[in-house]
Amino acid sequence: MIETHEIEIARHCIAFACANGADNARVNLNKSGIDGCNMLNGELDKVTHAADRSVYLYLFVNGKYGTFSTNMLEKESLEDFILKAIDMVKMLGEDTCRKLPDPSRTEKNANTGRELDLYDEAIEHTDSDSRLAKAKAMSIWQNSHKENNGEYSLISEECEYSESYDDSITIDSQGFEGRHTESSFSFFTEVTIQDKEGNRYSGYWWDTLFRNSDADPSECSRKALERAVAQIAPQPRRSGHTRMVVDSTVASRLVAPVLNALNGSALQQKMSFLDGTLGQKVFSESMNLMDLPRTAGRNGSRMYDSEGVATKDAPVIKDGVVCQYFINTYNAEKMGIEPTVEDASRPCLMPYMKGKELATEEISVSLKDILQYCRNGILVTGFNGGNTNPVTGDFSFGIEGFAFSKGKITHPVREMLITGNLKDLWNSLIAAGTDARPSSRWQIPSIAFENVSFSA
Amino acid sequence: MNCKNHYLDIFNVTEDGLKEITAKALSRGGDFADLYFEYTTFFNLNLKDGVVSSGGFHTDYGVGIRVLKGEKTGYAYSENLDMREMLKAADAASAIAQAGGSSLPYRAGTACAPDLYPMQKHWRDTDASALLPFLLELEKKVTAQDSRIVKVIARLSDSVCDVLMYNSFGELTCDTRPMGSISVTAVFQHEGKSENKSVSRSFRMGAELISGAIADEIAADIAEGIDERFEAVRPKGGQMAVVMGAGPSGVLLHEAMGHAFEADFNRKGQSIFSDKMGQQICPKGVNVVDDGTLEFNRGACRYDDEGVAGQKTYMVADGVLNSYLHDRISAAWYGVAPTGNGRRENFRYNPIPRMRATYMESGNADPASIIADVKQGIYVKELSNGQVKIGEGDFTFFVKSGFMIEDGRLTAPIKDINIIGNGPEALANILAVGNDLKIDNGTWTCGKDQSVAVSCGMPTILVKSLTVGGE
Repeated sequence: MIETHEIEIARHCIAFACANGADNARVNLNKSGIDGCNMLNGELDKVTHAADRSVYLYLFVNGKYGTFSTNMLEKESLEDFILKAIDMVKMLGEDTCRKLPDPSRTEKNANTGRELDLYDEAIEHTDSDSRLAKAKAMSIWQNSHKENNGEYSLISEECEYSESYDDSITIDSQGFEGRHTESSFSFFTEVTIQDKEGNRYSGYWWDTLFRNSDADPSECSRKALERAVAQIAPQPRRSGHTRMVVDSTVASRLVAPVLNALNGSALQQKMSFLDGTLGQKVFSESMNLMDLPRTAGRNGSRMYDSEGVATKDAPVIKDGVVCQYFINTYNAEKMGIEPTVEDASRPCLMPYMKGKELATEEISVSLKDILQYCRNGILVTGFNGGNTNPVTGDFSFGIEGFAFSKGKITHPVREMLITGNLKDLWNSLIAAGTDARPSSRWQIPSIAFENVSFSA
Repeated sequence: MNCKNHYLDIFNVTEDGLKEITAKALSRGGDFADLYFEYTTFFNLNLKDGVVSSGGFHTDYGVGIRVLKGEKTGYAYSENLDMREMLKAADAASAIAQAGGSSLPYRAGTACAPDLYPMQKHWRDTDASALLPFLLELEKKVTAQDSRIVKVIARLSDSVCDVLMYNSFGELTCDTRPMGSISVTAVFQHEGKSENKSVSRSFRMGAELISGAIADEIAADIAEGIDERFEAVRPKGGQMAVVMGAGPSGVLLHEAMGHAFEADFNRKGQSIFSDKMGQQICPKGVNVVDDGTLEFNRGACRYDDEGVAGQKTYMVADGVLNSYLHDRISAAWYGVAPTGNGRRENFRYNPIPRMRATYMESGNADPASIIADVKQGIYVKELSNGQVKIGEGDFTFFVKSGFMIEDGRLTAPIKDINIIGNGPEALANILAVGNDLKIDNGTWTCGKDQSVAVSCGMPTILVKSLTVGGE
């Protein structure tokens, strides 16, 4: 964890830079560590230990700007580094839009890094034996051969258990100081199986929690195996248009390009299909996306962005209307508009079911409910490649998953593609559940769309 | 040897110190240990709205320590090269000795490999004032290409990586690896519609890369084909013949077979090619290579990150699966020599089998005749990202631009579609290989757990059938 003398190093960087030609400066000092155990086919395969440290320096000199980083934190080498950095900034072109954020916008209460309750001190008391025990407990290799009735064989099982921390402080020359500290306990399993015909299938499962007592990796491998087994014997399917349900484990893939298009960098460079849409209804009224970064004890929460600007809970898209662009200080100056936070921290898609009233806060809509509601279509449980044109919003993705009929899964499908435009897609939203994984930074539940183009 | 001393000085270590750290790493019973010292400097300049308005440099310095017990790995690193800190990391890595099994990896020897990327102008001796005019000139040349260009973003970046590798066989290897990259994105607007196009070049070479000629080349590429982009439609989706144009289509090889030939996946039985060594997997005459010996190429490796000399490896020779891509661990497991594919992103990662420059050698067919032989299909001109599922062999790649093929002729332009296929099926369904191999020199980066620089290449080829995304 960051120690007091390292905070002093960060403060010294600011003071030294400003005393040697910088008009303003911001420094981010980060320390992180990870310890992990990997199992291969029930046996210990790898142990890792890592400890990182870095200083990022943002310098504003004579209306010019540069960013620099190093992991050599000794005072003398840092001072030499800063002097060279200032020299380099002076060589760049002038851009008066480069500024620190107005001090009135920066967070004032992120003093200890623990305010959002994302750090579990238990991480300081674990050891290699306990990590190895958890990794071993994940493995089902020894028992798997007895349980499959000869339908498949387990070819390989890789389990990883790791514990990590991330501690950072950000300080600027206008008086901002903030600290953010997180711990995480992560587990991941990937299995490969082979069916009776010799076809291979893989499945994975994972989770990341910030509290040690919540981390129960014992079911991880079994879930991975279930996901692999479910893919056995895919059936061919014709190209056409049908309803698409996207499982909550992968649904954020369809939200990411929307948030990218709301980012100031994309907007300012005319690289966004949502350019000029602020305040306009672009998507279906059923689409409600909030950014909720101030919720304590939830992955993704943070009190300030990388500029130190205080985050706040706010709608991003409300009833289909674009409510917020994510504009940092630089892009705000360039675009002549008010700055906000620089990006979404913890986007949450609100529940919806076309034609049904979901009035209460306690409403629960599961994947099963959505499949029942949609009756027939394709359930997407994984994306395989693809891309989005940021300027037009046109997308094309490889998918895998299952066909479903009368609300029940009938058979796996694979080697299929979906193609369309993001505006059209989100205008055809017919359902959004409440089953976002609690441990995910992005709270995107299972979602369903009407009339999606599938190619096979 | 001055060369060796130069690198020992960079990391402020002695040969006795290297031996001490290695001994500590093996102190709990490991079979083999190696050290990977790295000092990398990164530099970048960024142009937006006609001004080089940001830039910076970054340094990274540390040592990765690996201990092997059989095929099992213990790995730790230190960013502090004080001897006490390095010994602590060595102790952490040594914990793998509790794992079972025992065997020694392949001894590579210490033969000096030829320098594949000598720098005429060292990047570290070239400051921003010498490079900034290039970006401004590049922007002018790009903007002059087409009046519809409304935005230009240009970036120049370079890195120089000094590495010193030492292992418990006593092998000591040193290398300096430069990389220079230029990328440009232009946004075009015409009659209310927008399009964008990106072009990049990347080479393992010094600042001599920066020239008027490369600026001209990039500017010409930016404007090429933009009319078709504005006119492009999406094809009707489904299975159809696909002609892959020469050059960037090499991403097909990278995804469809390259990853599946990486020996770690095969050693663990995960790859769809795990049981196909020595079998005919492509039509006769097809040769697929992973090559670390191309001078100045982005994927060039004088030595890999285990100190093994760079090589040219025929993965497929005359249609037969000939070799996997090995690091020292998999080579020992298979009882073969390593192929120089043990690579890592930086000292924070242990090496694993990774590709370098992956390409198919030229065949005999005339590219025009390949297109002429297709009744209905698509021609792929520019691609971007790809992906593969190792076990199933399903791969995809994204087509940024191309054309419909109708009755042997290129007709309507197409764009922004994904293509999906199955590796073994696609390889078996290669119907023609053109005589026009082209290596693509874009900023290709492979992301298998760690990011490493690679490149790819391809002659024009015809695949009988792949699934094409569409309306």
